[in-house]
This record gives sequence, structure tokens and C-alpha cells, in this order.
Amino acid sequence: MFDYTFQWSQAMARLPQMLDGAATTMEVAILSMLIGIVLAIVLTVLRRSPVAPLRAIARTWVEIARNTPALFQIYMAHFGIASFGIHLSPFTSLLIGITFNNAGYLAENFRGALKAIPDTQIRAGRSLGMSEMQAFRHIVLPQMLRVAFLPMTNQMVWAVLMTSLGVTVGMNSDLYGVTQDLNALTFRTFELFAIAGVIFYLITKLITLGARLLAARLFRY
Amino acid sequence: MKKFLLTTAFIATVCASGTAQADKLDDIIASGKLRCAVVLDFPPMGMRDDKNEPQGFDVDYCKDLAKALGVEAKIVETTFPERIPALMANKVDVGVASTSDTLERAKTVGMTIPYYAFEDVVVANEKAGIKSWEDMKGKTIGATAGTYEAIWAEKQVKGWGVGAFRPYQSQADVFLALSQGQIDATVATTEVAEANMKTGKFPGLSLAGKTPMVPDYVALIAKREEYGLLNYMNLFINQQVRTGRYAELYHKWISKNDPADLTIHGIYR
Repeated sequence: MFDYTFQWSQAMARLPQMLDGAATTMEVAILSMLIGIVLAIVLTVLRRSPVAPLRAIARTWVEIARNTPALFQIYMAHFGIASFGIHLSPFTSLLIGITFNNAGYLAENFRGALKAIPDTQIRAGRSLGMSEMQAFRHIVLPQMLRVAFLPMTNQMVWAVLMTSLGVTVGMNSDLYGVTQDLNALTFRTFELFAIAGVIFYLITKLITLGARLLAARLFRY
Repeated sequence: MKKFLLTTAFIATVCASGTAQADKLDDIIASGKLRCAVVLDFPPMGMRDDKNEPQGFDVDYCKDLAKALGVEAKIVETTFPERIPALMANKVDVGVASTSDTLERAKTVGMTIPYYAFEDVVVANEKAGIKSWEDMKGKTIGATAGTYEAIWAEKQVKGWGVGAFRPYQSQADVFLALSQGQIDATVATTEVAEANMKTGKFPGLSLAGKTPMVPDYVALIAKREEYGLLNYMNLFINQQVRTGRYAELYHKWISKNDPADLTIHGIYR
């Protein structure tokens, strides 16, 4: 019982605006991923720290990031922070929310990856005169990133899809926000969201393909 | 026996053609139920009472329509962006959801004559120093995504070239953002603004005068090709005005003043 006449030309006329939105979506996803990886490495180091409060901070971060909905994290980054008088733009709020989520998940991926690296390697490094930090940087980190590469690709895809939650904090320049704006204007719901769906699919497909090519280059033996 | 077969064939044909020709209006009457899409996050048009039951102008309007049709009203809660999918997927029969009757939208969905008209006001955070709608230039303005006033406000911001526009998912989020100072002002219907201010949940806000936009005429919506239903609803809306029920509902839910004039001079009173 679904009768609706699709008028693709009406929606396709809006494609340039939607592609602009897709660019913003990519911008948020890439930034959140880069910052997220750095933060995740810091969290991983903190979790191995001998200082208990530092371990607790890292553990709390990972727990919240992994066990609450991304929607909640993004909402908190906007409306939650604002109750302390800090006002962030929707772009910044969305970026913080997704980065927080990325860092938490990636830290957990890194922890798993670390388990794949035998302790004996660190001991071998130490016996060659490396400091603990040097052993981590030169021996553990490169291997850890290699083992965690595929989960990182997953997280990147997830980051792209999470940008669609930006509408809850007033974001209207990303792909989903633009689509929703156009929907309100024209009521061409099905055409517009179908196009948005295809664009999302293509973006994530490109990411996985790109990651595979990158992996083939980076991880040659 | 032959006669019996012929009769059976005749009855079958009549029944078959009967169902084939039944339109939405017939379906509603036959099913005994009128399913209305109503936005329940839009006081005083649609909201929930203490017992979590739907109430408001739009809810009563749906009940009146059901009563006129002699069927039972069923309120289906939708958000503004969900109105069209709900209609197309046949989850609801009509939308009694304060839908602004733009020509762009009318290419997609069927609209009746206006059943209500909103005037919009500026609500500002007192710290922003906004006294009239022109003071909004260069400020951050928010509104509920997908509404007439949001479309208007975004156009103004784009025209001014300064400031920012932010659409939020619900009226509640807009007023939260406004009271937190995340946005400096919002454009909202007089009805919604007053209802929200009355709750006392949002201190530090003030009304900053009317906007110069054309009143926001809103229509009932149905599928574009359901002429029978749209036609019926047009007459129903006029009867609501004519019988004084429109004014009665206005006084019940909105204010003691006179409601916006929806008559057509010399044709409809």
C-alpha cells in the first residue's frame, strides 16, 4: 500500500548542495579520526601507567564511550557542556562527540592489538638498551597499529555514519543535515533520502577500498 | 443453476468494482477509524496531558473531523519530518499537523484550504539585547527544523550574510538552547512562544515583537490524489469556521482574543 510517484529531477536538482554536505561530513569524520587516534594512543599508554588515578581516567573514558549511545555523547557535547556556560558551535560539538567515541573504541582496539605482541619483544628491546618509552615507540606501536588497522577502518566508517547524529545539536551543513533541510522545503522525502543513502554508501565503500590499498602498501613484508 | 451462476458472477463483479473504486474516504468510513498524524511536541497545537494522553488544538480538530465522518479518531504521533513518510506508507490517513501550505510542498502532497494561521514572534535571550526582529541580524538564530518559521529564518540569515542559523529537532531543544544562551533568538509562533514562556521552565527569555512574515497558513494534508477526502476536508474546515467551532477551539487552547480570519469574503463566512 505504498503509492508515491518518484520525481527524481526535483531531487537531483539539489545534488550539488548534498555533495557540499558530503564534503562537510568527510571533514568531520577525518578530523575526528585523526584526533581520535592520537587520543586513543594516549589512553592506551595511560592504561598501562603505574599511576592509579591516570589508569582510572583512561578506564572511565573508555567505559563511557563504549557503553553509552553515540547520540547521548554528542548531545552532551552540546547541551551538557552548555550548562557549564561553554557554548560550542554544532560543528565543534559534533566533532567532540564523535572524537570522544572514536578514542574510546580505538583505545579498546589497541588494547586488544597489544595482546597480540609478545612481551618478549619489549624485553628484547630493553636488553638492547632501549628505554621503556623507546621500546614502546619503536617496537610496540608500529605493530599495534598494524594489528588494529582493520578495526580502525571500521571506526572510520562508523565515524562517517555518526555525523548523521549532528542534526540533534543543530548541525545543518553535513550530508544528513542538508538532506533534512531540503526535505522540509520540498517534502520530496523518499528521493532525497535515497540519494543521501547512496552517497553515504559510496563514501564508506571508498573508505574501505582506500584502506585496503593503503594496507597493501604499508604492511608489505 | 445457470441463473445462480450468473447472479454470483454479477455480485462478484459489483463487489470487485466496488472495492476497486473505493477511495480513501470510503476506506475511512468502512474501517470506522480515522488515523491522524499529529505532532505532540508542539504546544498548544499538540501535546500530552498529565496522564500522557494527547491533547491540544490539532488533537481536538482530528476528533471533530472523525466525529463528522462518524468514525473513531486515532492519534498517531509523528515528528515534523515524519509526516510525509507516515502518509505515504499508509500509517495515517490524514495529517492534522500544522503543515504550512507552500507551493513547493503541494507538488508532493495534497493540501486543503487553511484550517489555521500562525503569526510569528521573536523570542530572545535577554542577554542578547534584541528588541525587534531586525536586531537578529548578525546573531545566532535557532528554530525547529522543518517548520515554516525555520525556513524563513534561515533565508533571512542567508540574506543578511552575517550570523548563523541552527535548526533543532524539537521545540523543546530550541528553547533549551535559547535559555542556555547557545542561540540568541528564535522565531516561533505566538502560540508556541506564549505556551513555553508560561511553563516557567525557561527564565531569562523575553518576547521581542512580531516578525514581518506573511502569516503561516497551515493546511490538513492527505495524499495528493485523494480528491474525495481533500474535498470533504475543505468543506469540513469551512464548517468549523462557520459554526464557530474554530473560534471555540481557539479560545480553549490558544487565547481569549479573536482567531485569525479564515473566511472568504462574499463566498464563505
